[in-house]
Amino acid sequence: MRRSHLVSLILVVVFTAASLAGVVSAGWTPVLGVQLQGGVEVVLRPAHEVSDEQFERAIEIIRNRVDAIGVAEPDITRQGTQVVIQLPGVKDKQRAVDLIGQTAELRFRPVLQMFDPTDPEQLSAIEEAMNQGQDGDIGNENSVETTESEIPDSRASLSDVLTPPQEDDVSAMVALLGSSGQTGFILAPAALTGEVIEEAAATFQGQWIVNVSFNDEGAMLFDQMAAANFGRQVAIVLDGVVESAPTINAEEFNGQAVISGSFDEAEAKNLALVLKFGALPVEFERDDVRTVSATLGEGTLRAGIIAGLVGLALVAAYMLLYYRLLGLVAICSLATSGAILWSIVAWLGESRGLALTLAGATGIVVSIGVQVDSNIVYYERIKEEVRRGRAVRSAAAGSFRAAFSTIIWADLASLIAAGVLYQLTTGTVRGFALYLGITTLIDLAVSFFFMRPLVILVVRRLVGERPGRLGLSNMAGGVIR
Amino acid sequence: MNFSLKAMYRGENSWDFLGVSRRVLMGSAIAVLVCVAAIFVRGLNLGIEFEGGGVWEIPALSEVTTDDIRDAASDVGMGDARVQRISGGDAIFRVRGEPAASESAESVVSELAKAAGVDAETISTRTVSPSFGDEVAGKARRALVVFLILIALYLTLRFEWKMALGALIAVAHDIAFTVGVYAIFQFEISPATVVAFLTIMGYSLYDTIVVFDRVRDNERSLSAKSRMTYPDLANVSLNQVVMRSVNTSITSVLPVLSLLIVGSFILGASSLQEFAIALLVGLLVGSYSSLFVAMPIVSELKNRESHWAEQERSAEVLGTSNAIEDAAAVLAADRYDRSSPPRPRKKGRKR
Repeated sequence: MRRSHLVSLILVVVFTAASLAGVVSAGWTPVLGVQLQGGVEVVLRPAHEVSDEQFERAIEIIRNRVDAIGVAEPDITRQGTQVVIQLPGVKDKQRAVDLIGQTAELRFRPVLQMFDPTDPEQLSAIEEAMNQGQDGDIGNENSVETTESEIPDSRASLSDVLTPPQEDDVSAMVALLGSSGQTGFILAPAALTGEVIEEAAATFQGQWIVNVSFNDEGAMLFDQMAAANFGRQVAIVLDGVVESAPTINAEEFNGQAVISGSFDEAEAKNLALVLKFGALPVEFERDDVRTVSATLGEGTLRAGIIAGLVGLALVAAYMLLYYRLLGLVAICSLATSGAILWSIVAWLGESRGLALTLAGATGIVVSIGVQVDSNIVYYERIKEEVRRGRAVRSAAAGSFRAAFSTIIWADLASLIAAGVLYQLTTGTVRGFALYLGITTLIDLAVSFFFMRPLVILVVRRLVGERPGRLGLSNMAGGVIR
Repeated sequence: MNFSLKAMYRGENSWDFLGVSRRVLMGSAIAVLVCVAAIFVRGLNLGIEFEGGGVWEIPALSEVTTDDIRDAASDVGMGDARVQRISGGDAIFRVRGEPAASESAESVVSELAKAAGVDAETISTRTVSPSFGDEVAGKARRALVVFLILIALYLTLRFEWKMALGALIAVAHDIAFTVGVYAIFQFEISPATVVAFLTIMGYSLYDTIVVFDRVRDNERSLSAKSRMTYPDLANVSLNQVVMRSVNTSITSVLPVLSLLIVGSFILGASSLQEFAIALLVGLLVGSYSSLFVAMPIVSELKNRESHWAEQERSAEVLGTSNAIEDAAAVLAADRYDRSSPPRPRKKGRKR
């Protein structure tokens, strides 16, 4: 019995120390939410009903856009019918807000020239050509070749050549990259935009192809473009990225086109979705847009930490005053839970990108009460037994079962609450539920594997039969009557 | 009811909770009625999450006045904006309103920044579509219903339906009271506040379960011959758990109080306040209702069961003193061993 308590204690301490050491040495720290470090939080909701496939595709596109901004710990999750995008610490907040959820156009642009984005000589040539193009000489295919020899020294980098997003205008000549980033394209002004596409579907006919049908206006425009570019490539451009550049091999389409190539199933379906829905397959409404300045976020964090520490100190002082040695055990239990919680929060942030939000932090502050309560339930049982005349040692060992049963049943109510809230709500409430659930589970584990053996050992070693050390002083021993 | 801290500390308290319960319940009912009336009369001060619109928090230079900010707000079509100065030392202004549709988010921010003499980057903003609140409220409502059903089932399975009913009434009492406080003082209700309300429910239930668990435990350990009435049983149990309740309330309230006073008032982190007020009120009222609302209701209900009604009658006939001390002594004597359920006793064998 005694040995097993000691083993349990040692295991908990070793486990806690190891996980904490692991987290610290890996350099993991909790990822802080938008409200705690500043940043942007956007909640989007589709304006119309959408299929799951469209929704997922839309989230994928938003994720790509966010990655392009370069946010350290973006968190983009679908929560029911909403997309919650959290970009803690993002620098240019207004731009981030604008970029997310905007529906960019799909454009068909004739390909003027393709280039290798890794070849500096080609890049220099193209930069020159583009500059000339802007002077009005648009569409002269030979300009690149003819000017190549004239600019031998000034080396252009890729970013000088590519058209920045704000200049990506329908009627301008642009230089863009393909979706793989391996090929560069110089493209003529758009011949038509995605609005004229009625339907696009991927089908399998010996190979994967995409069928596209246009409305009347689109049929006319497409035929015009086909006539002018017969035998050449036309790029399908989305969000400034060339998704595909099929060759036109007919002059008249009558509103129906087939795009074939070496697609696999996913590529074909993806292309069909792009054609059908444009940039975002879903039109989103911005339900909630929040920007938090870094100063405000840091202020909240600082205030929260100081307030939390003051609260903890008060609780610790009270427990020590009231329960003496047992109060010390309660403080040790809290410290153990805290260390485990820190490891879990840091791990969640590192591996899942899950941020510790303000609501989550509040859940943790609230859980201090639950944690301490587990101690109090047990200690009050012990005191009661001693009052009845039971020896302190045997009271400590004997009353755990009844106390733990109470703890389990009460914690179960907290877990039900956390589970329901997590499943059925979004945003703030969900973050809170998550941490409430985690801390409750930690409480159960720490109560059983740490608090109980520590109490029993402390009572055996340090208290003996001096109940005063447990805050039981002045107590009449013996049975009541 | 003689009140003595020393007796409490020693666990020698013997208060007649149920003797005063009718009066206390009446008081609670009146308080709840006042709160419900306040909710209907004064209405709730709903945050932008529920009503749509925008909020800007602007840290301003110290010489900037509320009027400067208000002028800037009306320049962007927010003549009716609510402008508050929320922090003393370093002025922080909070503007709430709905800018003219023609104004872009950027122009609103830059206008306000100019008036406050600060960089646009330091302004925190929040804009919410009008339909968002319905979404949030709808989800919270659905979660609430599911939660209440699950809890009712859980308590019925674990204890019995009478206790489930008592617990749920206590929870409803707590929520009505807390929301009422929000209505009376017109504190703003945000999703964070809703979180706090939900927490209160969890807490109140948690507390109530601890009480019920003790009652049931005591009930099990009663011998078949015991003459104890249900109110006595309840009273003894309440006396046994009251110290835990008080201690737990204190240790739960301390961190929340610190959040409110240190975090929100002294350090000026107003977002902490959203949670803290509701939590503080809810925690206190939750502990109270476990002892003074949930248990008396269960006691009323149980007393109608034939077994307990019989006990009550025979107690009256025999004129057994109902003093709590006696009841506690009886219970202590009946109890075989607290940590394990009593063995069934053989007939006719006296202890």
